[in-house]
Amino acid sequence: MSNRRRQLALALALAAVGSPALSEPRSPGLRPDPASVEAGLWSEVDKAERHVRQSAELNTDPALNAYVREVACKVAAQYCPEMRVYVLDRPFMNASMAPNGYTEVWSGLLLRASNEAELAFVIGHETSHFAENHSIERLRATKTRANVGLALQVGVAVLGVAAASRADTYDEARNIMDSTNNLIDVVYLGVIASVFRFTREQEAEADRLGLQRATAAGYASSAAAQIWREMADETVSSDFERVRKADAKLSIFDSHPLTSARILALDAQAKASSTNGEIGRERYRAAIRPHLSAWLNDDLRRRDFGETLHILDRLASTNEDLGVVNFYRGEAYRLRRKDGDLALARKAYAAAAAYPDAPVATWRELGDLASREKDAAAASAAYEAYLAKAPNAEDVWLVRDALNSLGHGV
Amino acid sequence: MKKISASLALGVSAMLLAACAGATSVPAGPLKVGGAQVTLGRQWSDISTIMTGRPKKIRLLSIDGPMLNRLYISDGLSPGDFLVKPLAKERPTPLVRANMSVTERMEFVADSVTAMDFQRVEVSKPRPATYGGYPAVRFDLSAKTTEGLDVLGVAEAAEVGGKTYVLLYLAPAEHYYAATLSEVEAIMASAQPQG
Repeated sequence: MSNRRRQLALALALAAVGSPALSEPRSPGLRPDPASVEAGLWSEVDKAERHVRQSAELNTDPALNAYVREVACKVAAQYCPEMRVYVLDRPFMNASMAPNGYTEVWSGLLLRASNEAELAFVIGHETSHFAENHSIERLRATKTRANVGLALQVGVAVLGVAAASRADTYDEARNIMDSTNNLIDVVYLGVIASVFRFTREQEAEADRLGLQRATAAGYASSAAAQIWREMADETVSSDFERVRKADAKLSIFDSHPLTSARILALDAQAKASSTNGEIGRERYRAAIRPHLSAWLNDDLRRRDFGETLHILDRLASTNEDLGVVNFYRGEAYRLRRKDGDLALARKAYAAAAAYPDAPVATWRELGDLASREKDAAAASAAYEAYLAKAPNAEDVWLVRDALNSLGHGV
Repeated sequence: MKKISASLALGVSAMLLAACAGATSVPAGPLKVGGAQVTLGRQWSDISTIMTGRPKKIRLLSIDGPMLNRLYISDGLSPGDFLVKPLAKERPTPLVRANMSVTERMEFVADSVTAMDFQRVEVSKPRPATYGGYPAVRFDLSAKTTEGLDVLGVAEAAEVGGKTYVLLYLAPAEHYYAATLSEVEAIMASAQPQG
């Protein structure tokens, strides 16, 4: 097919009945004409959604899912009936809403948001990409491709392979050579990457409209700039120079950083709207509390301990969940093991032990660190406390061995 | 378009070929991994070439393919060594540390399994074992692939002369894990550290 015929075919496809007009928000309940450009995009996103439904990372807690969906529906308003929200236990800050209504909210976002208003803004931002047809706009910008479906497939695969080879993308792509089945995930990642890669202008528009949506739903306007500011601060706390020097990004696929200009624009918009909306801090913390331990554990596996410690400082700032928060602070120092870190770990575990929500492993770790420092009395007390609190733990024999060894050489 | 498709096909083919290239047959009998040694009860395939960065101190064996059964056998790992080599400084993988506790040795193996892209990795049933006559810990693992397939594992870890030795077996819970477990347990019983 010649270039001219390709362009004609694309123009005809773009003119197909059922495609949304790009200058105005899409109508709720929109379904693309099978011959339209958007139908091809939906087909690819449908595949990604099927993949996620089977994913081991799918969080199946009904209470958490109901809560996130409730917040999403308040913000998405007229688009709520077509949203299908999936909470995924992935330790990276990300949320997305695909053109077919398939919506992902990652645990890394839930761990980093401080309150319901911040979550509402991020979902409002993603809903605005959806409502303004940003994905389809990006696809239509590819004007030299006649067979859009094929172009998308190829683009997806190329992006996917690129994602697998890039160090700053999701860990899932990291070990592609370690197991052949990961090719499937590469295609999934490619779909996500290609559908949710927006222009700078689209990001700015999604910020502006996302804040409008959140405030219309009754949330405080100050939350929008605040969560972006927190993301920027977390990046500065990274253990890695390359991460610290890079600008913070909303999502791992986001090619447009959270510049100070974006944050200032949201601050100005919030000031102009001057609404006294809800923050929803207590309600939000109660919803995520049952998952804090698991999500902090997941975050530690990223092994960017500077960023994890930043998250822990923020979580501790409200004086809640201090047993869990101090335990994971101890874990971060113990795993990082820079000079002086083991002393900091011991101090953090000791702080955790003062709170009723401290995980029982706190006392085993206290025992191990005290033993390492040849503090037999403290080690013995900690191991005894562990055995009293977890008499049926599977590693009781290990702790008894450690306790018995205290009399021999410590 | 043809150029892009051809390049893509070439790239994917190269990746798949790279994954298959270098798989060699390993007969039953003694197998040396650096200074460490195990005895295989049957023929395995050495698929070490598919490992990220091909760590020199690790051998990866399989019978039916890496997603159906895989056995990692390490030489003595020194502080700073890893089971899974990182692709970038900003995406570190678990490291062996000096003076790890028994709990930390189990954590090192479990976190390394997570770094292989398995999800929901859990450790259970830690139990005393011996590695070439030295005290060791053996424990079970459960995990899921990213597609949700249940995977089981068993691992043994020991510290001998300041070095950490690891044997790790992973296979789908359905059929494959049990099918090779007795062979793997015999291999673990045969393990000897550097003499």
